Amino acid sequence: MNFLKRGRPKPTFAPNGKDRGILVFDHTSDVIRAEKILQSNGWKIRVMGPPPEIRTGCDLVIEFPLMEKLNILRTIRDAGICPRDAVPVSSPLLQPVDLFHIKDFGRYLMVRAANMKLTIDKETLVIVNVSGGGCPDVPYLAAQMVGKPLAETPAPNEIGHTLCGYALHLAYEEMLRRC
Amino acid sequence: MSTMVDARGLSCPQPVLMTLETIKTLDKGEIVVLVDTDCSKENVIRAASSKGWKASAVQPEGIEYRLTFTKG
Repeated sequence: MNFLKRGRPKPTFAPNGKDRGILVFDHTSDVIRAEKILQSNGWKIRVMGPPPEIRTGCDLVIEFPLMEKLNILRTIRDAGICPRDAVPVSSPLLQPVDLFHIKDFGRYLMVRAANMKLTIDKETLVIVNVSGGGCPDVPYLAAQMVGKPLAETPAPNEIGHTLCGYALHLAYEEMLRRC
Repeated sequence: MSTMVDARGLSCPQPVLMTLETIKTLDKGEIVVLVDTDCSKENVIRAASSKGWKASAVQPEGIEYRLTFTKG
C-alpha cells in the first residue's frame, strides 16, 4: 500500500522550453511566500525578473511549468496568496535572479546577485558595502547592514520588500556559504 | 594636510574599498574623496561613518562630488 502514500510525483519541466508560465504578483513579499510554499511542495519553479512588457517596477515573477497551472494556483491560493496574473511566457528575456558573480578584491570579497552587490572584509567578515538596485528600500537595507558582521546583520529578506531585497538576500546567502 | 582618494570613474564597491584602505592607514585627520556618482557618494559616506569618520563637507563639483571626512 506504500504506493498510495507516495502521492503523485511532481513533473519536471525544461526551463528553456516553451511549456513555461509566469505568476505575477503585486507584492514581492507574496513572491517570497509563494516560492517557499511551492518549493516545499516539490514544484520546480524559479524566481525571475519579469519580461519588460509586464514590468511594473522592482518586481519579481515565478516561472512555473504551464501544464501544472491549475494545481499550482490551487496550492498558493490555499495558502492565501493570490497572484495578479498567471500567463504563458512570451519573452525570452527572463533573467534568473540567482546567478552569482564573485569578485575578489584581495582583502575584500564581493558577491553580486542580479542587480545587487554585497561586499565584506574577508578578515573580519564585516559588511563594508551594499550597492546596486534602485529600489526604494536599498538605502535602508544598506544602513541596516553596513558595518555589521555578516553573522549579526539582519537577513535582507526579513527587512526588505523588493526585488533588490530579494536579490540582496541571495547574495547574502551565497556569502554565508562561502565564508 | 588632507589625504586624497580619487575614485572617479570607478563603480561600487571600489570607491568604498579605496576609502577604507586609506582609513586603515590613519587614526585621525582629514580625508578627501572624489567620486562621480550619487551611489558612490552615499556608499562612501556610509562606510566612512561606520568607521567613525564624519562627513564634514559634501561639495558638488559639476557632475562630481568632493567628500571631506574628518576624525579626531
